[in-house]
Amino acid sequence: MLEAINLSKKYGGHQALINLNLKVSPGEVFCLLGANGAGKTTTINLFMSFIQPTSGEVRINNLEVNTQSQETKKHLAYIPENLSLYGNLTGLENLQFFAGLGGEKPDKPTAELLLKSVGLQPEAVQKRVSQYSKGMRQKVGIAIAKAKQADNLLLDEPTSGLDPQASNDFARLLQDMKQNDVAILMATHDLFRAKEGGTHIGIMKAGKLIHSLKSEEITLQELEHLYLETMKAENHAEVSY
Amino acid sequence: MLRLVIKKEFLSSLRDIRLQISGTILIVLMLTAVLVGRHGQKEIQTQRTKAQSAMYDKWLNQGNKHPHSAAHYGQFAFKPKPVLSFLDIGLDNYTGISVFLEAHKQNEVQFSAAQDSNGMTRFGEMTAALILQVLLPLLIIFLTFDIFSKEREEGTLKLIHAQGLSMRQLFMGKVWGTYLMVLLIYLPIIILAYLLLDQRSSNLDPAIGSKFLSLTVGYAIYFLVFVILCVLISGFARNSGFALLTLLGLWIASCIILPKATANLADKVYPAPSQFEFRNAIKKKVKNGIDGHNPSDERLASLKQKVLDQYGVASIAELPVNWSGIAMQAGEEYTDRVYDQEFSRVEEIFNKQNRLSEWVGFINPYLAVRNLSMSLAGTDFHHHVAFAKAAENYRRAFVKKMNKDMEVNHKPGVAYGDYNVGQDMWASIEPFKYNLPSTSKVLFNQWRSIATLAIWLIGLLLLASVYAPKISKL
Repeated sequence: MLEAINLSKKYGGHQALINLNLKVSPGEVFCLLGANGAGKTTTINLFMSFIQPTSGEVRINNLEVNTQSQETKKHLAYIPENLSLYGNLTGLENLQFFAGLGGEKPDKPTAELLLKSVGLQPEAVQKRVSQYSKGMRQKVGIAIAKAKQADNLLLDEPTSGLDPQASNDFARLLQDMKQNDVAILMATHDLFRAKEGGTHIGIMKAGKLIHSLKSEEITLQELEHLYLETMKAENHAEVSY
Repeated sequence: MLRLVIKKEFLSSLRDIRLQISGTILIVLMLTAVLVGRHGQKEIQTQRTKAQSAMYDKWLNQGNKHPHSAAHYGQFAFKPKPVLSFLDIGLDNYTGISVFLEAHKQNEVQFSAAQDSNGMTRFGEMTAALILQVLLPLLIIFLTFDIFSKEREEGTLKLIHAQGLSMRQLFMGKVWGTYLMVLLIYLPIIILAYLLLDQRSSNLDPAIGSKFLSLTVGYAIYFLVFVILCVLISGFARNSGFALLTLLGLWIASCIILPKATANLADKVYPAPSQFEFRNAIKKKVKNGIDGHNPSDERLASLKQKVLDQYGVASIAELPVNWSGIAMQAGEEYTDRVYDQEFSRVEEIFNKQNRLSEWVGFINPYLAVRNLSMSLAGTDFHHHVAFAKAAENYRRAFVKKMNKDMEVNHKPGVAYGDYNVGQDMWASIEPFKYNLPSTSKVLFNQWRSIATLAIWLIGLLLLASVYAPKISKL
């Protein structure tokens, strides 16, 4: 379970996140929408303890992230927007390395199966990652996350730059994880994926979570309208769907 | 986890084409330096052994003559070429190789390689020590400058952190992974160098094994210090470019600027007298007495009276022993005292200069390893002084023997040309043999350098343990 309680982050004079409250339970996919600079990545970074909050709390499986940073990592998998791997190592070696850091290093057959399960072509497994496309790298990233078998997953714009096929494969994998009771928090610009894959949707602007709703309560058109109106509005109280 | 990071760092470095090329160049350079150095050392040592033996043969076969003439005929002492000088030539090119030993005079050790070479010698030789002390750290810089910053720039650091690896573990993994790569280059060369040592090596220096081992360990610690320092700087550098500039700046300062500046500073703070001043001071003191109030003629008159009193006679002609032999030996001993006093003074100045360099080593581990390496290779100032002292002691012993023979056996009244001795007398003087200082003595002389490397290593490990968790992941 992922939880943010009155979470705020200030960079110098800039308030990047203001009093964020959200909760993602097992089997839920919470999609954070918002323009660049809205506070989505800051939220993810706070859950990852890459940065420290100015105030408030972040909890993962009821463990406080700031005080139990290493412990919370055991329950957490993460896929960033631009997944960087080691170019000098093969996809298999990258998976074994990162998965090994997260817990048990998978043996070669297990690692190959994992990579196959995320759709990486068998001939690519032994190639150095420097020869991979972004989609292939992202698949290795998903395999790393899957190998960890964590019950919480943080995704920072994971489909950005992926071709439609890869994006679709990714959505399918997300559904698998959701069904396995993983709590997923995803920052994205993709309204369609948020509506299709998410159980909850949040719209952020200028560090604030303006709207938080269940995806079943809204159609894609309504979501698009709400999003655009939120982005335009000076006073968010005026926006409704 | 640590093992995984070490393996990953090692594999990444091994597969990096830039490092494959630079590592290969370094290995080829080292191989060349070691093989050429060992060949050169063997050849020079053979020449010196032959020369020493030929000179002793000449001494034995000089024919019958007066012992004092034999003392003037003299002998040569050749400095053995230390076995490990093939790894570190040290000061060997600038200190002499042989000294002429004769009565009344303490000659300089002469004929340094630099005297016989063109100006290029001034730029130094491509020795294993130069590669290990200067070029291998440069490779370490290229291995490590972006070891953290690149991961931060590319985002892999976030992914590593997300897997639950602490920054301290990551830091140590990177240090040991890089160090393993350095050892991959260093150890084969060191093993080859060890295999090149043979029976003749231990004949020349029985402590060769322990000195070689100490040298190997000394360099291994130096590389570890350099690796930790570079990884630490990469961890806190804003970006890879800044890290590279900082590390190259440090390398230039520690390997090029500071050693020169230290030598100049030492020379200014503790100026050594010129050879002319040194000789002149001895000459003056011999003539006027050590305290300046005991001229040589008065010393001679006093000695004469003492000898006459000892034998209870009134004149030299009545003495049962040869007065010239006694006077000459007394003159020798007085000159020796003066020489020892002046030599100690100069030696102390050079020691102070060296100590300054060793103290500066506390801020510059390059100087520490350079001093330690030269010392273990037997090519530093201490070794040169030890040889000069051994040669001087040998001179004193054989001149004393000649004088004693003259005093006892050259009866008064017998003309100088009528008293001669021959080969039996010459053979009673053993050939000159110089034993290199023991390992413990060398290490004791270098305690500052050893302490420096230990302090740097422990200090950096402590620093890393405190600051590694503070390395930014973003």
